[in-house]
Amino acid sequence: MKALVVDDSRTMRLIIGRELTALGFEVVEAPDGRRALEVLREASPIGVVFSDWNMPGMNGLEFVKAARAEASFRDIPIIIVTTVTEMGAVASILEAGANEYLMKPFTREAIAEKLALLELSSPDGGPLG
Amino acid sequence: MEDRLDEIAEAFLIETREILGKLDNHLLALEKDPASPDLLSEVFRAVHTVKGSCSFLGFSKLEAVAHAGEDLLARLRAGERAMDPDAADALLGMVDAIRAVLAGIESSGQEPPEDHSALVSRLKRLAASDPVPPVREARAAGAEVREAAETTVRVAVGLLDGLMNRVGELVLTRNRFLAEAAGREESPFWPIVQSLDAITAELQQETLKTRMQPVDTLWKRFPRTVRDLAVTCGKRVELDLEGGGTELDRTVIEAIKDPLTHIVRNAVDHGIEAPELRAARGKPAAGRLLLRASHAGGQVRIEIADDGAGLDLERIRSRAAGSGLVPAERAAAMGERELLELVFLPGFSTSDEVTTVSGRGVGMDVVRSRLKSIGGSVELDTRLGKGTTVRMQIPLTVAIIPAFIAACRGQRFAISRKDILELVRPGRDGSRAAIENLGGTPVCRLRGRLLPLVFLDRELGLAGAEAAAASGSETVVVLAPGERRFGLVVDEVLGAEEIVVRSLSGRVRDIPVYSGSTLMGDGSVVLILDADGLARKSRLDAGEAVREGALSAEAEDSQEETGSLYLLARAPDDGRMAIDLGVVERLEHFERNAVERVGGLAVVKYDHEILPLVEVSDVLVERRRKPRGVEGVQRAEGNIHSAVCRCRGRRVGVVVDRILDILADPLSVRRPPSREGVSFTAVMGDRVVEILDVERIVSMADPDPFSVPGAARGGGE
Repeated sequence: MKALVVDDSRTMRLIIGRELTALGFEVVEAPDGRRALEVLREASPIGVVFSDWNMPGMNGLEFVKAARAEASFRDIPIIIVTTVTEMGAVASILEAGANEYLMKPFTREAIAEKLALLELSSPDGGPLG
Repeated sequence: MEDRLDEIAEAFLIETREILGKLDNHLLALEKDPASPDLLSEVFRAVHTVKGSCSFLGFSKLEAVAHAGEDLLARLRAGERAMDPDAADALLGMVDAIRAVLAGIESSGQEPPEDHSALVSRLKRLAASDPVPPVREARAAGAEVREAAETTVRVAVGLLDGLMNRVGELVLTRNRFLAEAAGREESPFWPIVQSLDAITAELQQETLKTRMQPVDTLWKRFPRTVRDLAVTCGKRVELDLEGGGTELDRTVIEAIKDPLTHIVRNAVDHGIEAPELRAARGKPAAGRLLLRASHAGGQVRIEIADDGAGLDLERIRSRAAGSGLVPAERAAAMGERELLELVFLPGFSTSDEVTTVSGRGVGMDVVRSRLKSIGGSVELDTRLGKGTTVRMQIPLTVAIIPAFIAACRGQRFAISRKDILELVRPGRDGSRAAIENLGGTPVCRLRGRLLPLVFLDRELGLAGAEAAAASGSETVVVLAPGERRFGLVVDEVLGAEEIVVRSLSGRVRDIPVYSGSTLMGDGSVVLILDADGLARKSRLDAGEAVREGALSAEAEDSQEETGSLYLLARAPDDGRMAIDLGVVERLEHFERNAVERVGGLAVVKYDHEILPLVEVSDVLVERRRKPRGVEGVQRAEGNIHSAVCRCRGRRVGVVVDRILDILADPLSVRRPPSREGVSFTAVMGDRVVEILDVERIVSMADPDPFSVPGAARGGGE
């Protein structure tokens, strides 16, 4: 299963990508929301999206809104990666259509937990978490 | 995985450096256009990105700096605080600090030890809008780091541990040297020994320094731990970490990890109240937890302070009296200090009532004993309704060694594990590890090999509780300090423990069988046995033994059946010879200057007798020139090793170059004698061993060695 990691920081993309790879995902990356939408169109099927919240250009919230506006992306699970300082924004992100949020710093178990919440099984088979 | 981690760290360094390049310019632009929302957002996001990655990479110092900067920027961005020269200055200081830490990470792979807590608190104060005078130290520290970074190298921890162990061994060797040299100030070796002593001490100090790590390595676990705990307990907690640059020996850091975690958990779980309760008590909804490390008088002090409920001393008092831990009238008279001490009592903490109502207590006894074991201490201060502060005092460095704790005659002793080969329960009568008596020397037969024994109670003159043999639990601790090997008989081995070595002082220091002392968890002092010193004290020089491992292994492989036992010795030309132990009474060494010449024969005073000495090598090798072997004996350097043999009803000391081992009849293939004085030869490994005919050698050395007036007779006394 493919997972799309959206973050303007290459370091964060690598960190999230490492965990997702370990969980058995094939990881594709995008540096911002606009590019993420392009990847969704080109590299489908994407099984799950992990998107940063604070990004230049199109931020996480705008990305979620844009993705949900397109019928073909409406059901792709989107998990917003955020930090405690952005907690106030979580409600609006979920309202905009994100399925879950993941708080930095996270562990692999935390990712697996979120995936399990969305009833996404690990591509390896076996239950997550 | 490792590659991937390095790749991430690499990406982080590149990305952060790019960000820093932009930040400088953005901040300068901000000073001119302080209200620009675009610039503020950009700067905020940049710092936010750095902070976000730090927490994954374990760069807690960087994270702390970026976090504080982010807080200030958030206030600026929200328009809650105006950008002014102070703020700009602090933010530029933050950029410098980040850059300095980055340079350190780049060169050493980890954060440099410099402390940025002054900068962090300055940023925090600015975020809180309190005007403060500018602080420049952060930038000065940054400049230092960049210089230091170029002169550091990365060293594997395993290598440092190895180095530390070698230094430990060097110290012990030095100690032996000092013991030998004592009282010989006029010797030409004296100044050399003195400088060896001084250099060893310095080396030990400096090696200890290489193992220092910043407390940050501990701090970095806590943001996550506290956050998770707070979520689990339904609390809101703000964690502040200070003094992360304070350095401690890594063994100490390891040792305090668990106690510290325990205290932090207690603080979040029991100390800090739920948000609603806090609000009801007029406190901010989020509790504050502060971890602070600092140097204090050659020690490190760690404080864990919360602004939670505090401990209810009256509850502790009634609880102590109620549970019978303390007599009621005593409890009634107790002051605050004494009451707080009760929290550290084992058993006291088990009460749910106390822990849930008034704060903490769970397992504080464990925390204290753990800290004691590394030579530290812990105490607490509390104010009801205001919070609790736990203070830990920790030594900068300690030498922690794995050890076994043994009991003998009701006393406990520690034995360093590095000296211990194995533990053997001796059996009785013919079983494999039965204790036997060999010509006055107790031995234990272990896998076909004889192990000389030292009875700890006899050696130390212990009396009191029942003797070892009576209890049936006696244990032979097989020790191999350096290259000799022997069995130490103790009443019981209680278990393994990591102990902290404390040096001995005063009179005890001069007793060679102790290498130090250690404080047990229960507060009692236990002496650490010096295996080498014990071996020397009990004159086990015979057991030079293990050095000749190949020979011994050969012996084990050959027949294990009982037969004659042989004393294996080395000749001056490195040849091997053996003496049937049947004629050997004891192994002794004498000081060279104790040897006297009486009537052309070398003799030595022994057991109130005069013992004639016969040097085998002289008799065998240089017989024609020195038929009496006298010159040889007097020429020998250092101690003279001899087997005291019974010969024609009398004692004679057969002098050899060095006694190597006791072998259980390894001489399965006998060959004809090589020369006079030899009964037969045998091959062991690639060496020929000559088995001596002691009686013949004695008569070769002197037709009548017992002609000396007053020479030993009978030898039975």
